[in-house]
Amino acid sequence: MATSKKEQTRIKERSKKADAKQKNILEMLKSHGAKIYDDLDNGQFPKFSIPSRSVSNIVYDKKLRQYILGTNAAVRSSRNSAQLRSFTQLMWLAFFANRLTHEKKSSTLRDVYYSSQAFAIEFEDQSESDNIIVDLEAVTSKPREDFHIFPEERSSIFGDLTIEYTIPGYEGKTMNLSNHPDGYSIGPSLTTAELVDTSAEIVIAIEKGGLFTRFVEEQVDKKFKSIIINTGGQAPRSTRTLLKRLHEEMKLPVIVLTDGDVYGEHIAMVIKSGSANAAHLRELTVPDAKWVGVWATDIEKYKLPTIPMTESDIKRCYDLQKDPRYQDGIWKKELDVFLKLKRKAELEAFSKYGLTNITDKYLPQKLELAKSL
Amino acid sequence: MSSIKEKFNQISPSEFFYSNRDLAGFSNPTRSLYTAVREFVENALDACDQKGILPDVHLTIKAVDPEKPDPKPYILTVKDNGPGIDAEHIPLAFGTVLYGSKFGLKQARGMFGLGATMAILYGQITTNKPVIVKSSVDGATQDTFELLLDIQKNKPVIVKHTTKEVSKHGLSVSICLEGDYSKAGNKIRDYVYETSLITPYASITFDDPKDQKFSHPRFVKEIPPPPTIIRPHPHGIDVERIRRMIVESQFEIPTIDDAMIEKVRKDLGLSVKNLSFTAIMDKAKKKWKTLPRQVRVVIALMSFLKMDFEKLNKIRIEDIDMPNKKLFYWDFGDSQSKSVDMDPESQYYKQLTNTVQGEPLTTFLTKRFQRIGPTTAVKFAEFAGFKPEKRMGTLSNQELVNLSDSLQKFEDFMAPDSSCLAPLGEDPLEKGIKKFFNPDFTAVVQRSPSAYSGFPFIIEMGIAYGGDIKSGGPHVYRYANRIPLLYDEGSDVVLKVVNDTDWGRYKVKGDPPFIIVSHICSTRIPYKTAGKENVADRPEIERELRLGLQLLSRKLAAYMSKRGQADMAKKRANLYAKYLPQIAEFCTELAGKKKEPNYKKLLEENAVESKQSVEEENEIGNK
Repeated sequence: MATSKKEQTRIKERSKKADAKQKNILEMLKSHGAKIYDDLDNGQFPKFSIPSRSVSNIVYDKKLRQYILGTNAAVRSSRNSAQLRSFTQLMWLAFFANRLTHEKKSSTLRDVYYSSQAFAIEFEDQSESDNIIVDLEAVTSKPREDFHIFPEERSSIFGDLTIEYTIPGYEGKTMNLSNHPDGYSIGPSLTTAELVDTSAEIVIAIEKGGLFTRFVEEQVDKKFKSIIINTGGQAPRSTRTLLKRLHEEMKLPVIVLTDGDVYGEHIAMVIKSGSANAAHLRELTVPDAKWVGVWATDIEKYKLPTIPMTESDIKRCYDLQKDPRYQDGIWKKELDVFLKLKRKAELEAFSKYGLTNITDKYLPQKLELAKSL
Repeated sequence: MSSIKEKFNQISPSEFFYSNRDLAGFSNPTRSLYTAVREFVENALDACDQKGILPDVHLTIKAVDPEKPDPKPYILTVKDNGPGIDAEHIPLAFGTVLYGSKFGLKQARGMFGLGATMAILYGQITTNKPVIVKSSVDGATQDTFELLLDIQKNKPVIVKHTTKEVSKHGLSVSICLEGDYSKAGNKIRDYVYETSLITPYASITFDDPKDQKFSHPRFVKEIPPPPTIIRPHPHGIDVERIRRMIVESQFEIPTIDDAMIEKVRKDLGLSVKNLSFTAIMDKAKKKWKTLPRQVRVVIALMSFLKMDFEKLNKIRIEDIDMPNKKLFYWDFGDSQSKSVDMDPESQYYKQLTNTVQGEPLTTFLTKRFQRIGPTTAVKFAEFAGFKPEKRMGTLSNQELVNLSDSLQKFEDFMAPDSSCLAPLGEDPLEKGIKKFFNPDFTAVVQRSPSAYSGFPFIIEMGIAYGGDIKSGGPHVYRYANRIPLLYDEGSDVVLKVVNDTDWGRYKVKGDPPFIIVSHICSTRIPYKTAGKENVADRPEIERELRLGLQLLSRKLAAYMSKRGQADMAKKRANLYAKYLPQIAEFCTELAGKKKEPNYKKLLEENAVESKQSVEEENEIGNK
């Protein structure tokens, strides 16, 4: 297929943009490296500052509508023999991320753990290396995906969205995400791809794989001009990054459909305003995302079959009541109702009224409602 | 008190030996071989110590028939360069139980020389072979005896006696005994090894039955000053001991036999012809001051008997009853006992009184005990409720018990004299520990003399850490009067004190490589058993051990904390050496440089820091 000149320019621009992002990351790593290089060369023990990720330093920023790290920072110094090991690990990770980014190769958390052994860097276990990866994110304020480190868990996407790959070997190639009815796995190549075009007017994030398939079968993408994303429970960070990009780059509103329980409510909240675990990152949230259900009030309203809440469900309710984000609006109201009912309902509960009830009845009502939220 | 002679029944040595061989360490062939080695080696070392000779001791054990399985007969020979024993004493010394030269009160390894005779007896019983003793006192001639013991009569039987010319003085004792070297070997080697640690001025060699040679040359050239013999301290005395001392203080009434009459004649300067009673007394009066005591007593007796020599030959003095002023004698002619009254006004009466009733209490105390002056003696007499001039020989049994109790209770006696003790000394002990264990840290202490029950004692202790010492400590080396104690350590007072110590408090953790050497010196070590392998927990001894150990432990703690710091510095330096090159490598690529940064400066600075710490550590170790 011959590409027009205009099209070629567009591709060039796009790859320039990707290059710029890569360059930006590499520059930042280089400046960190140069500082440490100079310290060593001057006979100084190198050190750097890492924002504290302890609970006491995580605060909710109402303006940003997300959790952020406070101003507390810890100095990690190579002079301190207790920190020397983790200092070296972090140095290695920066070095490794530099290579990954430079060579445009991607890696996973587990892969990083094993790669360390090739450089005689010791990690007790993967959780130690995972932790160092978070340290690097905290120091650079960049998500690990920017360093080409991706999670193993995959969620999926379906709908009329054209993307253009930026990964090596696929540069310039485009793809429409409605071509395959099982949906597309949100992996490194999709997360980093350019978002080219879409006819959709909304993004529907749904918690359950089963319902995702139902939505595809019922052509929710066409009927409601939507892109459907299966978060597979708590949304992985790459998925949240993609949601953010769809919202910001394609100007699409995002709505979230979850099970009718306290965990479902929180899945929606994390997409909207992030998690404490990722408080050091600011590019993962969609503050305008809307949670449309299943609400506690829907359980009564739609007379959904329920199951009793477990003790841990109830405990989770009380925990969330202390969270500043649950202090008002539907977040507070629904939490209170859950606590009152002490019962919960899953998305599949709508099947009691027929397989298509959720897409025929519930979804339209919720989409309508979302406009007023 | 009317008895002149007090005799103790002598128990049959064989009976004693059979009933006590377990206690004395001859319970089985393994233990017996070890005990026999100990007895002879200790005798050899004692003999050298007493004459100030640097000991060379050679121990040899040879199987009579190496092909036979254990237990089997072995020939045990111990040879020394000591003063030797006069030929005339050898048969008695080696062929009689309870004969020896160690009856004085001073520190020695063995007591009474009993053990060696026991070993000889055991050898004879198990192999029926004589003991061979070679002795040279002058370094020119050597007497060789082959002796058997007549167990029933407790008398030596000389099988063979030869003399020859030699060039060295010293003693060699060789016995044949049933033993089990395959089992006793370890203990014997340990014994020789540990003995050489506490006797650094001795050179000890051991040729074992498997033709292995163990040589422990001396590494200290000075022999510690020999202990002096001292009189007993009143706190360490019991009734039996006082009774014996009284006997010693009394003169026995001489038997008036032909020899004695001859002596009296000679001392009086009388001619052969018989003199009348009056003539004799006249002569005696004139020469009184020059006469020996024995003769004076005979004259005194004669003054009451009024007999000449001829008559004296026909009687035997039976008893002197001082309170009733009567003299009893047996008349052979009439075959009956007779008595005469004694005139208490007579000057001869006083002579007899002194002889029979012994010394007055105050004299007895000042003359026969250590560190009691006349003032203290009088004060004590008052305290005990006796007249100061009370004669010792007139004490009744009950009075003896009262006296003994009072001696224990009276608190104004001076502390026991410790000149009878022979501690090794801090310097030789430290040298020994350093040579044997090559430790990183050593500390030794000698406590000042103390006493339990009137027996003086001195505690010496050493502690050493690291070096060649194997982990799993504290390993405790126990010594008493320079004898290593190898058996029965479980119930020993030293172990008790060591085990009571919370080593964590002294920064000693885990499986530490450290040793404790404890040396108790005393005129009487309170052994728990006659096997002499463990020391009882007398409060005074326990206290001294505890204080000594605490002092050493504090020094060890100071060393450990310095060592800990040095270890940390070293560990840190190692960490830098491991990680800094990696950091350098990674940042070089990150910074896009070709050449690695010069991080060596950092490593060198830290190496210097940790080296300094190590040097400080060594300084402490050497203190």
